[in-house]
Amino acid sequence: MSIEEQYRTRAKELLSGGAVKMVIGYGKGTTPSRRRPLFITSPDDVERLMLDDACITNLSGYLVSEGLLSDEKRVAVFLRPEGIRAVNILAAESQLDAEQIVIFGFDVSGNEVQALKGIHVEEFSDVIRSIKEGAPEADEEELFEKIEKMSPQERFSFWQEEFAKCIKCYACRQACPMCYCRRCIVDSNQPQWINTSSHSLGNFEWNIVRAFHLSGRCVECGNCDRACPVNIPLRLINHRMAEEVLGAFDHFAGMSKTQEPVLASFKKDDSETFIL
Amino acid sequence: MTKILFSDKLDKCVERWKSAGLTVIGPVQRTNISTYAAVDHAAELEFGLVLPDRSIKDLFFPQSEPMLRYTIKKESINTEECLPPAGPRIIFGARPCDASGMAIDDPLFGWDYKDEYWFQRRNESVIVTIACTKADDFCMCTSLEMSPDSTKGSDILLRPLAGNKGWQVDELTDRGREAFRTIADFLHESSEPLAPSAVVENKFDLDACVTWLKNPENFESRFWKEISMRCIGCASCTYLCPTCHCFDIQDEGDTYTGIRRKNWDSCSFALFTMHTSGHNPRSTQSARWRQRIMHKFNYFPGKFSVNSCSGCGRCSRQCPVDMGITETLQEISKLSL
Amino acid sequence: MKIVARHDEAPGVKTMRLEFQDAADHEFFKETFRTGMFGLYGVYGEGESTFCVASPETRKDYIECTFRQSGRVTSALANADIGDLITFRGPYGNRFPIEEFHGKNLLFISGGIALPPTRSVIWSCLDQREKFGKVTIVYGARTVADLVYKHELDEWQKRSDVDLVLTVDPGGESPDWKNRIGFVPTVLEEAAPSPDNCIAVICGPPIMIKFTLISLKKLGFDESNVFTTLENRMKCGLGKCGRCNVGSVYVCKEGPVFTAAEVSRMPASDL
Repeated sequence: MSIEEQYRTRAKELLSGGAVKMVIGYGKGTTPSRRRPLFITSPDDVERLMLDDACITNLSGYLVSEGLLSDEKRVAVFLRPEGIRAVNILAAESQLDAEQIVIFGFDVSGNEVQALKGIHVEEFSDVIRSIKEGAPEADEEELFEKIEKMSPQERFSFWQEEFAKCIKCYACRQACPMCYCRRCIVDSNQPQWINTSSHSLGNFEWNIVRAFHLSGRCVECGNCDRACPVNIPLRLINHRMAEEVLGAFDHFAGMSKTQEPVLASFKKDDSETFIL
Repeated sequence: MTKILFSDKLDKCVERWKSAGLTVIGPVQRTNISTYAAVDHAAELEFGLVLPDRSIKDLFFPQSEPMLRYTIKKESINTEECLPPAGPRIIFGARPCDASGMAIDDPLFGWDYKDEYWFQRRNESVIVTIACTKADDFCMCTSLEMSPDSTKGSDILLRPLAGNKGWQVDELTDRGREAFRTIADFLHESSEPLAPSAVVENKFDLDACVTWLKNPENFESRFWKEISMRCIGCASCTYLCPTCHCFDIQDEGDTYTGIRRKNWDSCSFALFTMHTSGHNPRSTQSARWRQRIMHKFNYFPGKFSVNSCSGCGRCSRQCPVDMGITETLQEISKLSL
Repeated sequence: MKIVARHDEAPGVKTMRLEFQDAADHEFFKETFRTGMFGLYGVYGEGESTFCVASPETRKDYIECTFRQSGRVTSALANADIGDLITFRGPYGNRFPIEEFHGKNLLFISGGIALPPTRSVIWSCLDQREKFGKVTIVYGARTVADLVYKHELDEWQKRSDVDLVLTVDPGGESPDWKNRIGFVPTVLEEAAPSPDNCIAVICGPPIMIKFTLISLKKLGFDESNVFTTLENRMKCGLGKCGRCNVGSVYVCKEGPVFTAAEVSRMPASDL
């Protein structure tokens, strides 16, 4: 039996028995290569669930939709390891109760889908640890290295050109499971921290502030990068911040549901290189 | 016999238009994004795209536009209106859906109060449209009473010749004829075989959808919640849309000097309609998606007798969660059966 | 426009009187303004905010506006002093058809900070008192402190040709409060004004309007004789920025004044 079939069967069992009220998974998209988020509440609909290498979107952001978990019922969700890390952070930041989340874990290597064993977030700690220790994917490394090698001026021009494309649609924010604030800093105007206009200054302010808000929190699922309609390589910024935080504080975002947020906790032996 | 513009003459035309004082704008492929931008040479133009990622709207209604500058002194306030930089332009190689999008928005910007920012740019632009020879899964012009060679909003329609040799020239307006008079010596009179037009399948029953949308009972239908459940509430569909025209007005600067700007805004955002009291008429994402569809296919045509959609399909093509107008209208078509 | 007078109405609520600096602008205002219209009041560097013209069409030498300090613009307006210049864009929108009210009894119902638009109509009528029948004003706020135009309420209370019913929400009364206690719709039903030959004008928060309309229906008022004004978020005031519509109706162009019959045709969940 394929993993897709196994998970359909499991979804059917959970929904019929009332163990979960909803399964958030993937369904058929507009084109053969597209999958779209799917919300299944009836056991009769589980056949619509799909699982293959095109299931890329990190669905964990839907878990913090207003009111979804407020009835304390359980919700099942298809997640890759990055999504599982995101659930850990959401739990650590008190945005959800991890007990309410039933995980249909999977990973993709090449175009092969593997099931990840476990139901609750804490059962995936080995998987997460192995990602922390594993090497970054080669193709990403290449562009990343290219930017690292640039002089500060070259790097500035590179990002200037990229941010010039930004139209402030906030798809990056809306697609990000970590951007759960009910009122984002860009929507606050007393004081107006960030210009709402999509001009060079406003675009820089927005993208840099977002990078800072995600440092030590980003799980590098790539939702922002894929959502961006003007294709700004946002993953590179977040990856750089993640490396920085890992180097400075040995903090890898989303290790466990009790992991303290790196910028909201203090250890005596924390690196203090920023204090001159 | 018709007028023909051969591709190899285009660079000369660009040069001629430029020396006549026109800014030449067309589809270009930049790093990871295709858009319409000013060019110096024909070689920079990219005609192989189904359509650019960014719409032509940006050229008439930019994402952030200064409206006025203010300077405050002790006893007086000085303001200076910032009209768009003047100068005639030729947009060479627009797609029919993009060109018609501009014509769709004309009555809105001209309704009662005439928006000078829009009309100055409209009046200074010649739109030369190239009919489509290819389409993708998201194109839907034919479902909206348009076609890959619609002339709406265009000053010139170019029909591609077979073998990428050039274009057959259909002059549609005086403004178009005038722009092509300056390059008359580069045009040929002959008849050439045309490349086959793109095939865009009909995706939904527009009439049935409009009837369904107009029925007040359907305003409260469960359908809206179901169809928009996965909407993440970003503005990529509205900002890439050639006809979405909503905006915000924002002041930037300090107490003494600054700029009042008109910025794109979107019905997808909760803040768009939020009252000061905290009451929000459209407090859920489903209410906001319903507003977008109702606005395009019910309210807007009710006022201006035209749907506020030109069928470019960018909303669906770029949606991070694979939503869009096409799917919604397809589902409504099914409901109306 | 220059601020020539300002005073506090209630906690966080201020009234300002503005005078035109440009004769042509003033002339335009005098020709255009009718009660019910609104404007966009602005402070450069902060932006513009939409609210009604609270002064009546019978007094066009100035504009009065009343607002609650809550956002960025209203805070800047609240901080502006006498002699300071602020901007006004308008008047925009439709109006209360006061000529059609001639010879009729008038019932004004208002809640909290929504008295300003009603007050514009009230004075427009009281300034030509002889043209109208009985005038009844029902006004309520959450607490005694939240009542606005207190000096005018006193004036109306003293007038023999105005029947003023004041109320505060239960718990909002002060020890010396001698008027009613209860929500506006309830108090309205108790006061039971006759619907005969009567026009009702109601302004208030959406929830008050909803229940007051029900009460008016119970009292026998015809929806076409009930007027209200909607105040949605606006940026342009010119029918272009796209946010103030309720269903297909653009509040800035087709409103803000509507009859209850028109409101009932709008989709309730879009209000």
